[in-house]
Amino acid sequence: MLNMQDVSKIYRTELVETHALRALDLVVKEGEFVAVTGPSGSGKTTFLNIAGLLEEFTSGSYVLDGVDVKGLDDNARSKLRNRKIGFIFQSFNLIPDLNLFDNVDVPLRYRGMGAAERRQRIEKALTDVGLGSRMKHYPAELSGGQQQRAAIARALAGDPRLLLADEPTGNLDSQMARSVMELLEDINARGTTIVMVTHDPELAARAQRNVHIVDGMATDLQRGSVLASA
Amino acid sequence: MDIKPILSALRRHRVAAALITLEIALACAVLCNAFFLINNRQELMRIVSGVDESATGVIALSGCEGCGNADFNARVLGALRAIPGLRAAGTANSTPFGPRAGYMGASLDREEQHWAGVLHFYLFDAAAIEALDLHPVQGSPFASDDFQPVENFIPTEAPVWVTRALAEHLWPGENPLGRELWSGGHFRVTGVVENFAVTSPGRSEEGVAGAQWSVIVPVRDDAQSGSYVLRADALDLPRVMQAAREAVARAVPEAVLDLQQSRELSELRERYFRSDRAMAWLLIGVIAAMLLVTALGIIGLASFWVQQRTRQIGVRRALGATRSDILRYFQTENFLLASMGIALGMGLAYGGNLLLMRHFELARLPLAYLPAGACLLWLIGQIAVLGPALRAAAIPPATATRSA
Amino acid sequence: MFAYYLKLALRSLRRHPVLTALMVLSIAVGIGAAMTTLTVMHLLSGDPLPGRSQHIFYPQVDALSTDRARRDPPDMLDYTSAMDLWRAQRADRQALVNDSRIKLQAPDTGHPSLMTTMLSTHADFFPMFAVPFAFGGAWTAEDDERHARVAVISADLNEKLFGGDNSVGRTLRIRDAEVRIVGVLAPWRPSPQFHSLAGGNFSQGDTASFYDTPEDVMVPFQTGLEINDGHFTQFTCNALPATPGSLRNTDCVWLQLWVELDSQAKVVDYRRFVTDYAAQQKALGRMPFPENARLLSLMEWLDYNRVVPRDVRLQSWLALAFLLVCLFNTVGLLLAKFMRRGGEIGVRRALGASRRSIFAQCLTEAGLTGVIGGAFGLLLTLLGLWAVRRQPVEYADLIHLDMPMFVATFALALATSGIAGLFPALRASRIAPAMQLKTL
Repeated sequence: MLNMQDVSKIYRTELVETHALRALDLVVKEGEFVAVTGPSGSGKTTFLNIAGLLEEFTSGSYVLDGVDVKGLDDNARSKLRNRKIGFIFQSFNLIPDLNLFDNVDVPLRYRGMGAAERRQRIEKALTDVGLGSRMKHYPAELSGGQQQRAAIARALAGDPRLLLADEPTGNLDSQMARSVMELLEDINARGTTIVMVTHDPELAARAQRNVHIVDGMATDLQRGSVLASA
Repeated sequence: MDIKPILSALRRHRVAAALITLEIALACAVLCNAFFLINNRQELMRIVSGVDESATGVIALSGCEGCGNADFNARVLGALRAIPGLRAAGTANSTPFGPRAGYMGASLDREEQHWAGVLHFYLFDAAAIEALDLHPVQGSPFASDDFQPVENFIPTEAPVWVTRALAEHLWPGENPLGRELWSGGHFRVTGVVENFAVTSPGRSEEGVAGAQWSVIVPVRDDAQSGSYVLRADALDLPRVMQAAREAVARAVPEAVLDLQQSRELSELRERYFRSDRAMAWLLIGVIAAMLLVTALGIIGLASFWVQQRTRQIGVRRALGATRSDILRYFQTENFLLASMGIALGMGLAYGGNLLLMRHFELARLPLAYLPAGACLLWLIGQIAVLGPALRAAAIPPATATRSA
Repeated sequence: MFAYYLKLALRSLRRHPVLTALMVLSIAVGIGAAMTTLTVMHLLSGDPLPGRSQHIFYPQVDALSTDRARRDPPDMLDYTSAMDLWRAQRADRQALVNDSRIKLQAPDTGHPSLMTTMLSTHADFFPMFAVPFAFGGAWTAEDDERHARVAVISADLNEKLFGGDNSVGRTLRIRDAEVRIVGVLAPWRPSPQFHSLAGGNFSQGDTASFYDTPEDVMVPFQTGLEINDGHFTQFTCNALPATPGSLRNTDCVWLQLWVELDSQAKVVDYRRFVTDYAAQQKALGRMPFPENARLLSLMEWLDYNRVVPRDVRLQSWLALAFLLVCLFNTVGLLLAKFMRRGGEIGVRRALGASRRSIFAQCLTEAGLTGVIGGAFGLLLTLLGLWAVRRQPVEYADLIHLDMPMFVATFALALATSGIAGLFPALRASRIAPAMQLKTL
């Protein structure tokens, strides 16, 4: 599903070069639920941005679901992102000007889907996360847990092959966090590949596999060795 | 791009959206009416005099007490005709853009039952008709005994020429030759000239429609004095006019030369329309300033919205929006706002026109001005929003994962 | 506290130079356009005789209508009616006026002859209209009676012919007659030149000529009629005069009468006198429509003639519409600016600022923007007035920024920005207190 080889990312300013990722190798197989952990500043977010095609990388290779993304232009990356990847953000990132229905609609619009299909998908996605009765509500009228569920519905509505989650429970209390986590496990069980960045060991423990990033390099914790040639 | 989500987002920013809509509406209303006013002035300035203005000049003198017409004309015309390069010179009571000399009410019958309107009666001798290069396009030239003395102001019986526009006005669709006019005298139409403007074209009660309501009456060369037309080659005219002013001042020292009126006809025309030209430029200035202010308003508000929505733009990008999707979003949003403003502005433009009609005796705004104003505002809106929209499109998708 | 708001406002203006510039520019352009045209309006529509105009009246009778009554009496009087009304001496002061073209010479100056306009009027003209003299004075009522060959000349003409010296006692040649100068006016420039104004309803709004300079030469009424016979212009006639330019016994209207009536009772009396006169003339078979007789005050007469040129009125409307566009623009920009600072305002509220103080702070900033915009607007107004002065119109030399309009510029700027700031400030003051900046 996701195959990164020797990926590195260097931020250059006039004064310094910052190596956010150095020679990162990572393979995620279809249907896996991988947790990526690491201390602050280790390169977790950079990894997520590159994996989600939000940023380009400096060198190495990255094949996403059989597509080599190196050298793709901004448009192609946007399309790929739209079709294959669903995002869940720590701060939900719902658009406050739009109600839940229109929020879930956003990625479907960019895919250019017909109105009937969009409606059906939106209703299904929101019902799946238990918000079927709140479609006309605006984000500000919902609790944090409900907002994150709405964000998950938005990520799922397009049937992504890969779900990228960035501290999905970071802004939630423990009870809400648990229900969101259960929802993610449920989604994974139905076949969607999930890569979740978190610094919460308890949460990470519930994933099938843990990858630890330190100083921009990934270590597979379960096997205790650098995934040099996986 | 579907407009529904844009509309629902705008509904959440009702006040700002309403403000910019109102601004555009008001600008649209003023714009349409200002265009109309400019066009009215231009129409006025395009009035045809019927004379080759660059080849014709006027000499005006006054204040020669007790001078007989014949003697006075002989001295003036003698001096003028001695100027090399002068083609022709004769006496005329006035010319287009000259002083108002012969406006009179006229009727189509002796009993004054059928009102013809206020017409301008031009009194020309044979040399003046030559100098003005007037030829009837229909009918016949004046015979030598058609040139008569004047009684009080005008000959009592005379053949006259009228302009085609006046003939059409008085006898629509009919042959004007042989028709009669009464106004202090009795006149029979023997010729029609293509164009010959009244002295104050466009400034009479009939406006531009009455600009050509002239009657040309032949008079003897000693019937009047003090006002002369002369003709020379266009290139030569400035020199001839200068020589004429000097020669006339020498020939009749007891008279006072009117330096304001003793000019080339092209100068008289320029002066006549100067205030219209100034007004037209002023209106253009107002339009430009208003478009500038409207554009500044759009830029200011759009920049604010882009800044306010930086993060949600990042989210949209993360969710798969391309740069051009974002660009189009803001362009569509602006188009919607402009359209609402324009729709409202058309109503305002019409209302403003009603006010102008009531207080400024203006005509009804032709509907063609509305789409013209609308297009200009759409264009200005799109140009103004381009900068902020490009800035929005440049927001990187990674903004979405940046922690707050 | 105001000082603190002022400091905050200044800092905010400096922090967002582009937005500040947009707002200042918007206000300045709007104020500049509005004040330029309003100043012209103010100068052209003002009272030409402040303090006296309410006592000055313009009697009219209808000596023209024959078989059908006109809507209004003709703008001027025929000779018979004019002389009858004047001779009755029923007002506190009365003067007939007439303008005619003359050829003028000052024989002992060597200056070439010139064509100019002469006012024929009565001795009352000068005290009635408070005309200022530099040298000498007006002629007397006896001079009127004797058809004396005397004249009063304008400051302009005195400057042109006599270099501005005291020319009282010198001789002028008008047509073939000689008149002795008895008075020289100090500069006198009524706006409009009301005393010989007429025909505004027939000028298609093109009334700029009403603001021309007054006549160069003024002579006793009958003196003028004698020495310039044959050169008078009718306002309008029922039948052409037998001798052009000689209008005394013709069917033409060509004279105007001004009267001064110092009390309301006298106005009532005089109105009755004019009505009675018209009725009596009808009895004599001369004036079939006596109901057209009327007595307008000076300001009513100016209104009736719609003295302010149509273009000037049009420009004023245009400028006000433009100011409104600028106002909406400023509201929008201020709203954007205050809302952009929502986070900061939330924190201020959390730290104890009341709604009222947030409102005051925002309004102070709007007001400061207005004052700066007004200052630039003043510059633009001066520029605009300079442009108007360069226009080829009769009133160009009248145009200047007087004190009331100077003050009005800033008042308008403050009012504009105050109104513009009101709503955004209200919105800003409703922002809820918060300790952190909301995102998205």
